[in-house]
Amino acid sequence: MTAHRRRPLGFLAVLALASIPAGGLSAAELRVGFSQDAQTLDPANHRNRENETILRNMCDGLLTRDPAMKVVPEIADSFRQVDPLTWEFKIRDGLKFHSGTPLTSADVAFTFNRIVKDKAMSGQTSPRKSLLGPVEDVEAVDTRTVRFKMSAPWPILPAMLPFQEVVSKAFVEKQGDAALATKVDCVGPFKLVEWRRGDAVIMERDPGYYGGSPAIPPVGPAKVDRAIFKIIPENASRVAALLAGEVDIINELPASAIRQVEASERAKVMAVNGTRTFFMAINLAKKPFDDVRVRKALNHAVDRRLIIDKILEGRATPLNGVMSPDAFAFNKDLPEYRYDPDAAKKLLAEAGVANLELTIDTTGAFKPTAEAIAALMARAGIKANVQVWEGAVLSPMWNAADKRKDRDLYLTSWGNGALDPSDIMVPTLRSGGRGNAAGYANAKVDQLLDAAETEVDQVKRETMYKEAQAQVNADVPWVFLWLPQDLYGVSKRLKGWQPSADSRINLHDASVD
Amino acid sequence: MSPGRLLERLAALIPILLGVSLIVFLMITLTPGDPVQIMLGDSRSSPEQEAALRHDMGLDRPPWERFFVFLWNAAQGEFGLSFFHRRPVLDVILERLPATIELTLVSLVLALAIAIPLGVFAAVHKNSWIDRAATVGSLLGVSLPGFWFGILLILLFSVTLGWLPVSGRIGYSSEVPGVTGLLLVDALIAGRPSSFLDALRHLVLPALTLALPMASVLTRVTRSSMLEVLRSDYVLFAEAKGLTRARVIGRHALKNALIPTVTVAALETGSLLGGNMIVETVFGWPGLGRLVVEAIFSRNFPLVQAAVLLYAVTYVVLNFAADLLYTVLNPRVRL
Repeated sequence: MTAHRRRPLGFLAVLALASIPAGGLSAAELRVGFSQDAQTLDPANHRNRENETILRNMCDGLLTRDPAMKVVPEIADSFRQVDPLTWEFKIRDGLKFHSGTPLTSADVAFTFNRIVKDKAMSGQTSPRKSLLGPVEDVEAVDTRTVRFKMSAPWPILPAMLPFQEVVSKAFVEKQGDAALATKVDCVGPFKLVEWRRGDAVIMERDPGYYGGSPAIPPVGPAKVDRAIFKIIPENASRVAALLAGEVDIINELPASAIRQVEASERAKVMAVNGTRTFFMAINLAKKPFDDVRVRKALNHAVDRRLIIDKILEGRATPLNGVMSPDAFAFNKDLPEYRYDPDAAKKLLAEAGVANLELTIDTTGAFKPTAEAIAALMARAGIKANVQVWEGAVLSPMWNAADKRKDRDLYLTSWGNGALDPSDIMVPTLRSGGRGNAAGYANAKVDQLLDAAETEVDQVKRETMYKEAQAQVNADVPWVFLWLPQDLYGVSKRLKGWQPSADSRINLHDASVD
Repeated sequence: MSPGRLLERLAALIPILLGVSLIVFLMITLTPGDPVQIMLGDSRSSPEQEAALRHDMGLDRPPWERFFVFLWNAAQGEFGLSFFHRRPVLDVILERLPATIELTLVSLVLALAIAIPLGVFAAVHKNSWIDRAATVGSLLGVSLPGFWFGILLILLFSVTLGWLPVSGRIGYSSEVPGVTGLLLVDALIAGRPSSFLDALRHLVLPALTLALPMASVLTRVTRSSMLEVLRSDYVLFAEAKGLTRARVIGRHALKNALIPTVTVAALETGSLLGGNMIVETVFGWPGLGRLVVEAIFSRNFPLVQAAVLLYAVTYVVLNFAADLLYTVLNPRVRL
């Protein structure tokens, strides 16, 4: 029996020893354990943030964001607003695509017209068109100048441009739109070696890279020879890969694994404020939630700080509104609905509501949070039940007035990668917005959001958004919750890398010992 | 089997595939969830953009029309574009299929290598401690959740011992020219033993995780059918003739005893070829199961439809293969 027992382990040991060189990390190879594979490598043919994170290491944009999330030029040298309907960008000189073709303003105009013009991608319209708002046409004025023409003033154009990457006109014209789905010819720190679908995106340094935005030093080619996005969808396996030394960075580190990572000799935890606002939308059309006192009572009934401490391991910032503290026009003076079950009871009594019973809808991932909220609500005399749904079912149900009419509360979140109110307040709080689950409609807020959308004076814009946030805080269409940090596990041999608030993993400056 | 009979079996596929297509289409159409909204996610969008996307995805047509377009295209081997990959569905499926086939075949071989000797041994030595251990072991094997067992293996062999990789199919410094898509085979064809071993290292843990529950079922099936065969008259007769015990079991009893094992193995293989979402997710295995489950959650209708059709064909073909194997194992069986 002893022999029987030994055999499989002996076999594994032989396997392990036989191929250490093949599996070992080379010093200049950096691996990211990433939760999702790219869907496509065509920068204009997706609406997926993870896709963009991978692509951004191979494809630069006109503009980008520095570590403080300030918008800075990247492929552009400089930019200015010529008139309310025109923006002009000067393109950096001497840039070359991975294929060696020089980048000119014609490539930039081609890239953006491919996105904003209908049916410009072999008869198909880019799903990213609406990310460029009222941009109608992009024109190459000379080899180094492009002009963006808009149908209406749109002050957030610079904030939205870091989401788009520039492709080579010659490449697309020669190989066709379909080729872009699996091939890359961009200006960027890394070029594509191989995309093993579902497994990994393997990239190598482009030695001819111009160095990236001067606003984000150090400027120069990427530090490592190869960078690999290794796709590991399961959280526990991603953490294991980090602890086993197979990868140097992992994204979406679950809060429950923080201690495990911190206890290891090999890795540590890094965090940054995320861009996803969590809230519970209240169905305003249903009684008794049409009464503002009831909605305030719900806010007083939730101890956000306790949940942040106990469930989110302290890794979140409580919010009194919708905006992240890192975003443009964040209103820091919003009053807080403190945790106070007695105040909640009092408000419910004033509203004439006794024995309030409600259901919190959420997805599986947030069940523990919803259950904690329900338990806290019980202390304020509210009987809350939790109903778990599939995300694909829940979101269309809550975003259609006729379908949500019998629902009560919806624990959800909304991302704001642009860190601008326009990108989150318009969809979630303007009447008729596509993510306005509460059915919130306030004429004053609508008017402020609409005016700010086209206001060119940034100071005035900021004032309008702050006023809108104050109005929302007073109307309480949501139970305001928190902004979680994005958590990463990183190996201790990693240098020159910081997590970024826009969820990107830029590997240009990163290196490994 | 006569060619006519073969054709008849193949013709029987058509109504099955039609039925499967219709059921899947109805389920997809009736399930709430909108791929356009899922694609747009949280970001801002305009009604025009939503309409354009809906048009691109063909979702602005009435359901019956979509069904007949699907059937017409499928008959010509066209399954449309995957909503999110924006490439032909067939390409997306075929590039993930070899990983699943390889994992399934290795798991099957591993499971059979464990189950047949163990099942036979347990039957021959009924009520011995090995028999009891096999019974308890197979109960455990069936009950262990693959998710938990897979993570346990990773923690032991990858994190603690550092012997085997956590995820993926092959190391990134190994390159194997693609011929069959099965890395073990391709590495042998290319004459690269180091790549072969590298691929094998990546296969060990996921294959073990899949093989264990399969081996548990097969051990139980083999044991009980062996017990039954050992009680039959012809085995008694063979023993009366004075044949050795080993010869009776190996030559006479085993062949018949394996018929139920083959049936169960074929069914298990059929379901594994559909991909095992849990094991593929835990080990970052780039197979079909993960792809299809992701497609279901994101309401990627063309991919789901094509994949389910592929599953149906696989099931029918494997059952047919099992039927053929019966005739080899027991000449009295005729198709």
